Amino acid sequence: MMAQAEKEAILGDIHSKYLPIENFEYPTGMRLAVNFTIDFDAQVNRKLKNEPAMELTQGEFGGRVGIWRLMDLFDRYGIKLTIFTPGRVCELFPEALKEAAKRDHEVANHMWEHRVPSEPDLEKDHLQKATVAIEKLCGKRPVGTRSDHKISSLKKEGYIYTSNDDTNDIPYYVLSDDGKDWMLNLPFHYVLDDAMYFHFGWYGSGNAGQRLADPGKVYELWLSAFRQLYRMGRYMNIIFHGFVSGRSLRVAMIDRLIMEMKQRPGVWFCTCEELARYCIDRYPPEKMKDRK
Amino acid sequence: MPWKDGYTITDEIGLRDEEVTWPENFQCAVTLIVDYSVQGGNDGIASKDLTKPQAIFGAKIGVGRVLELFESYKLRATFAVPAIMAEIYPEMVREMTERGHEVAAHGYLHEDVSSLEVNEEKRRLNLTTHILTETCGKKPEGWFSLPRQQDRYPGGQISPNTIQLLIDGGYEYLGNGMADDIPHYWVVDIHTKRHILTLPYYYHFDDLFFLMFPAPGMGSGLENAMTLFENWRQEFEGTYRRGRCFTMVVHPHLIAWGNRIEMFERFLLHIKGFPAIWNPTGSECARYWKERYPASSFLNLEESIWRDYPGSLS
Repeated sequence: MMAQAEKEAILGDIHSKYLPIENFEYPTGMRLAVNFTIDFDAQVNRKLKNEPAMELTQGEFGGRVGIWRLMDLFDRYGIKLTIFTPGRVCELFPEALKEAAKRDHEVANHMWEHRVPSEPDLEKDHLQKATVAIEKLCGKRPVGTRSDHKISSLKKEGYIYTSNDDTNDIPYYVLSDDGKDWMLNLPFHYVLDDAMYFHFGWYGSGNAGQRLADPGKVYELWLSAFRQLYRMGRYMNIIFHGFVSGRSLRVAMIDRLIMEMKQRPGVWFCTCEELARYCIDRYPPEKMKDRK
Repeated sequence: MPWKDGYTITDEIGLRDEEVTWPENFQCAVTLIVDYSVQGGNDGIASKDLTKPQAIFGAKIGVGRVLELFESYKLRATFAVPAIMAEIYPEMVREMTERGHEVAAHGYLHEDVSSLEVNEEKRRLNLTTHILTETCGKKPEGWFSLPRQQDRYPGGQISPNTIQLLIDGGYEYLGNGMADDIPHYWVVDIHTKRHILTLPYYYHFDDLFFLMFPAPGMGSGLENAMTLFENWRQEFEGTYRRGRCFTMVVHPHLIAWGNRIEMFERFLLHIKGFPAIWNPTGSECARYWKERYPASSFLNLEESIWRDYPGSLS
């Protein structure tokens, strides 16, 4: 049987590190927010994992073809994407990111080179480099991240949200590493991540983890998730990668998916920043601190 | 473009759909690739691999069925042939060219060349060229580096010297690269702009990873023929609408059996129902591309804006 002290410590952590938003409500008329997000890794993450040359060309597809196709698709529907980009991609594919900013898609942070260094100074340095690179290229300082950067570091750089922790279906706050502050998290779920279905060899999954799904199956799965989340009035954060979802067969599938989602009233297609600002404004963490 | 050695092989922005045109107003290009390998290890096809039942089935019976299908649907393909296969089955390889298909090189043994010393890789490349030239009476124009089932990554293995050696060896094109879904230029040197035309490849349209390979650690062991059909169909239809290049790869020892060859035929029948499809061999596609989109005016390269930073990957 667990010692009482240990049990209390766990319960204390659960209570103190996560701040749920009770009775969450969307703006009038809305019942589900959908964020379409892109992790713009291109070949940076492939390089970081020291993958062979051909894998780099796979990533390169995302920057020179895929990202453009996804932007074109979502522009046709007037939906704004949130593009989480490694800072270094600002030097690899500047035209695509400039274009994204010009078309009013949100450009957010996805680390400097797809890793967060454990050395404290370097961690801050990488965050700063990525932030500045995006600001310089896109003309606007990013306010969101998808990374394990320390919340204290993120706060100092002016970030207001992270979209990093998985497995929930409603926004919530996480406690800063220094215990002083809260940061909004817009949770994703691996069910809604294209790479899980379509990227063979993801993080060394190798042949045993064959990820070669029929897009039609993924369409059914995502639509089923959408229907249920809509019914419950929760939140949906779908992750694309340019080199995965930018392939013709998947762009066509996403096209069908958007068309279907558009059929229903009350779906809020917004950027992560828009949703984050709404949450922080309507449910400021300091007003919920005295919860029981 | 922000060139960065070791990260980038071609220019920053690919051609948009509206910029891509094919000869005689064809709507899209379809290139069929047959990997005439049998399964081997990392060092490539060994003698013992050639005498396995699956290998014999593929190299003798399976390939015949595939050739018959192409014949009945009036389709032309490019056969990626390891030199050792031409040594063992020269008549079969000659038959491919006699029936109007192209024979391209696929390594000496379809081995992993990624860690070969440069002179050894060059020796094998020249040997491969020589053997295929002797077999077919014509120098191969294309070179493939397709993956093998046991590979850790699905894009095929090349060494840091491969592209340079192919250019030196007079090859007109590399058959498989993943940076686009139309032909594109693989650049080896930003200053001289030395390059080789590369034809598109994507492992989701290669039968290799879809059809049961039940060895320990090698895969799900599941038969995913229908998933393969769906990937082919949806990509073909998407590519057709966009007017780009659809490329698929089959292996005779995998595709020619039972339900799979039935599925393969059904797919060929499906694409034959679409008008205005251009079905070139690899070299015809490459020739057209170099003329219509010459690197001198379509390869947009600029010096790098990429710098090295302390504490970062170079």
